[in-house]
Amino acid sequence: MATIAERRRIARLVHRFGFGPRPGEFSTLLAGGFDQAAEKYLNAPLRDAFADSQGEPAVSDQGRRPAPNSAQIVAYATEKRAQLTSLSFWWLDRMVLSEHSLRERMTWFWHGHWATSYQKVDDALPMYLQNQTLRRNALGNFTQMSREMVNDAALIFWLDGQTNTVKAPNENLSRELMELFTLGVNRYSEDDVKETAKALTGYKVDKSSGKVTFYPKQHFTGSIRVLGTQGAFDANSLSDFLVARSDCALFITERLWYRFISSMNPLSDLSLTSSFASRDISALVKAIGRHPALGDPDNSMVKSPIDWLISSARALSITPSQFSNPNLIRNYLDLLGQRPFFPPNVGGWPADQAWLSTSSAQYRIQFATLLVKEGDLTPISSLAQNKRIDALADWLGIVEWSSRTRMALNGATRDPARLTLLALCSPEYVVSA
Amino acid sequence: MDTITRRQFLKATGAGALGAAAMSLSIEEIANAAITRPLPLGTPILVVVTLYGGNDGLNTVVPVNDSIYQSLRPGIAYKPEDVLPLGENLYLNGSMSGVHSLWNKNQVAIVRGVGYPNSDRSHFSSMAIWQSGILGAAKTGWLGRWVESQPEDPLLAISLGSVLPPLLAGNKRSGSVLPLGGLKVPNGSLASDCMKLGIESRNDNLLQSMAARSMRNLFAVSSDITPILKAPAPAAPDLPTAIGGNAGGDTNLSQQLDIVAKLVTAGAPTRVWSVSLSGFDTHADEKGAQSILLGVVSQGISKFMSQMRASNRSKDVVVLVYSEFGRRVRGNASDGTDHGTSGPVFLLGEKVKGGFYGEQPSLTNLKNDDLAVTTDFRDIYASVLEKVLSTPAEKILGNWKGRTPLFN
Repeated sequence: MATIAERRRIARLVHRFGFGPRPGEFSTLLAGGFDQAAEKYLNAPLRDAFADSQGEPAVSDQGRRPAPNSAQIVAYATEKRAQLTSLSFWWLDRMVLSEHSLRERMTWFWHGHWATSYQKVDDALPMYLQNQTLRRNALGNFTQMSREMVNDAALIFWLDGQTNTVKAPNENLSRELMELFTLGVNRYSEDDVKETAKALTGYKVDKSSGKVTFYPKQHFTGSIRVLGTQGAFDANSLSDFLVARSDCALFITERLWYRFISSMNPLSDLSLTSSFASRDISALVKAIGRHPALGDPDNSMVKSPIDWLISSARALSITPSQFSNPNLIRNYLDLLGQRPFFPPNVGGWPADQAWLSTSSAQYRIQFATLLVKEGDLTPISSLAQNKRIDALADWLGIVEWSSRTRMALNGATRDPARLTLLALCSPEYVVSA
Repeated sequence: MDTITRRQFLKATGAGALGAAAMSLSIEEIANAAITRPLPLGTPILVVVTLYGGNDGLNTVVPVNDSIYQSLRPGIAYKPEDVLPLGENLYLNGSMSGVHSLWNKNQVAIVRGVGYPNSDRSHFSSMAIWQSGILGAAKTGWLGRWVESQPEDPLLAISLGSVLPPLLAGNKRSGSVLPLGGLKVPNGSLASDCMKLGIESRNDNLLQSMAARSMRNLFAVSSDITPILKAPAPAAPDLPTAIGGNAGGDTNLSQQLDIVAKLVTAGAPTRVWSVSLSGFDTHADEKGAQSILLGVVSQGISKFMSQMRASNRSKDVVVLVYSEFGRRVRGNASDGTDHGTSGPVFLLGEKVKGGFYGEQPSLTNLKNDDLAVTTDFRDIYASVLEKVLSTPAEKILGNWKGRTPLFN
């Protein structure tokens, strides 16, 4: 039998680098040991047969919004809602169905990193294109990713880049590019913000199609001084310049640490940044996934609402788009405060305690009540009652039950649905211990 | 940055990890305390309103007749007929008629040019400075440290919403949070099963015990108290009926203030309340968006003050309104403004000595295109600590010497 330490490392691997185990998977991984599990979880092929079998979402260029009282407006608005729904459930389904979930996990990480919201972009196609950019580069080279992102229609529009002109620079994009995307706060000066804004002038967005066009005449062609270097920059050369700085390696390592190891205990091993020397994201992710800190009991994390929903759905074999009323899934994600394509701001979503309020406890109970009604419970309902509690831990990828939760579960072994509901709401499942 | 709220702010500051864990209160617990140990009438109460995103001070307290203001802000400058006179050639944003009528009753102090040395233009860093009351990376909030200077009481300082703002974070003890919206508590056997999950276990790590506590709090209900909460918000009898009728429905801020009004009226033993409104990061199309938000702030506060008058607490309550920075003087090409430096801070209430404080930053003497800081925000905090919370400021603000004589 695997030790608790071994269970913990594998459980964290599966819940943090993936989206939780599918039925039977955790036991198989335990039998093979951590190294074998890490080998599987930290290497994701570019294509995922299960997730890719979903095809593409029904999104297309809707053109400009018709006038408020025109005849076309109702059809336009209906189609707009349908596109957002299609896009949202397409992604939720991918997360649930992926065989190698690291790629979807990393796409989700980057969505929170380059956090762009549909709230302002208000067109599904540019959000989809950005999502594909993030997925394509999720485990690739960060220099390439950053280049593609500074040319991304949704991101530029979100941060007002399309109205950034030589005459009156808009600093929104330039500031966040350094503060939140490449270097980290206070690793640049205010003059750098003003100067880099000039480098980002001349990019115009056609929002509904997601096309970005560069207009040399509206671009500042003079020389600027950025972080002590004088030269002429455009978005691409600026991105390359920022990404090449050592602060970028430190910053990206800190962000991955924050989401995969601990948001409470800051990056403690600076040597990890060397894995990012060539800006190879996959190499850094592997180094973090195999770092001893992953096994440190102090580094527990709260599952965010998406983590919690997707891991529950994987265990219970629920495909979000096939749910009897998919709107309920959207509504509960809203109530819990985390809906794909709607990060709260450019800083992305919060972590840990933020998800442990009394109101989230309440919504989690209600949400779990729905999930167990539609989920496949045979992994425990097929077993004798006295085997169910331990099987539940293996099914869901839980390190160990506390005596408190064992007591609560003991009273419900006759009823697989109640048993599963309690497990999904238990501190052992809500927290990746 | 499109919108910033308290919850969102936590992520980038890492404040979720700072300080002591917040107690999540049930509204019933507070109502219960209001009945068993009500706050004595005459005890000062502070309500802090945080405007997230960086409110544009120049379009809040407007130098509308200044030709430099007009020339630097084509497209977003107000015209004289749009704004409300304050005196000293300054005018209030036209959407803030509620605050304006309190100003005319001498119940509003406007401190001009408030900030701190070497303004930080990151939303997250600057808000961390304002909320901690210390330059540099403090792990606690100024009111969190105040909570720790007082005898232990989870009801002393409460933030509305589900996440604790860094403002109320202390080292060992913090303020509490009160989730908005009613809680729908399970009943029957589901309730008794879930309640078992709310017991803390010896093997729990910190986060697991917090998860257990959040479950337990859900059931911490004393059912005989609910009438207070089900009752409508206290009436605001002396307001013209137009208020509330034209704002396009409830906003989150007015919901938050309504709950505060109910619980203050009921006698909650709470000295500090924290509420917030997001959306002030107006890089583009600022004029309409900001005036809607300021209208919400103004209507919310004037209604709240009216509710306080009806409940005999109006002499006790002081409202403090601030944002993490002002915005650049010159408009950008998107009819918006980028991150700037100083801005006005508002204090409202019958205790407040109405009028202007601090110098209006001059538009002819900009530093790096930005407004000068003429009052340090800690001057205001120090005076609030001493005059509203009756606590020596030295303990909380590290021997800060400056004061602003804001109170009667």
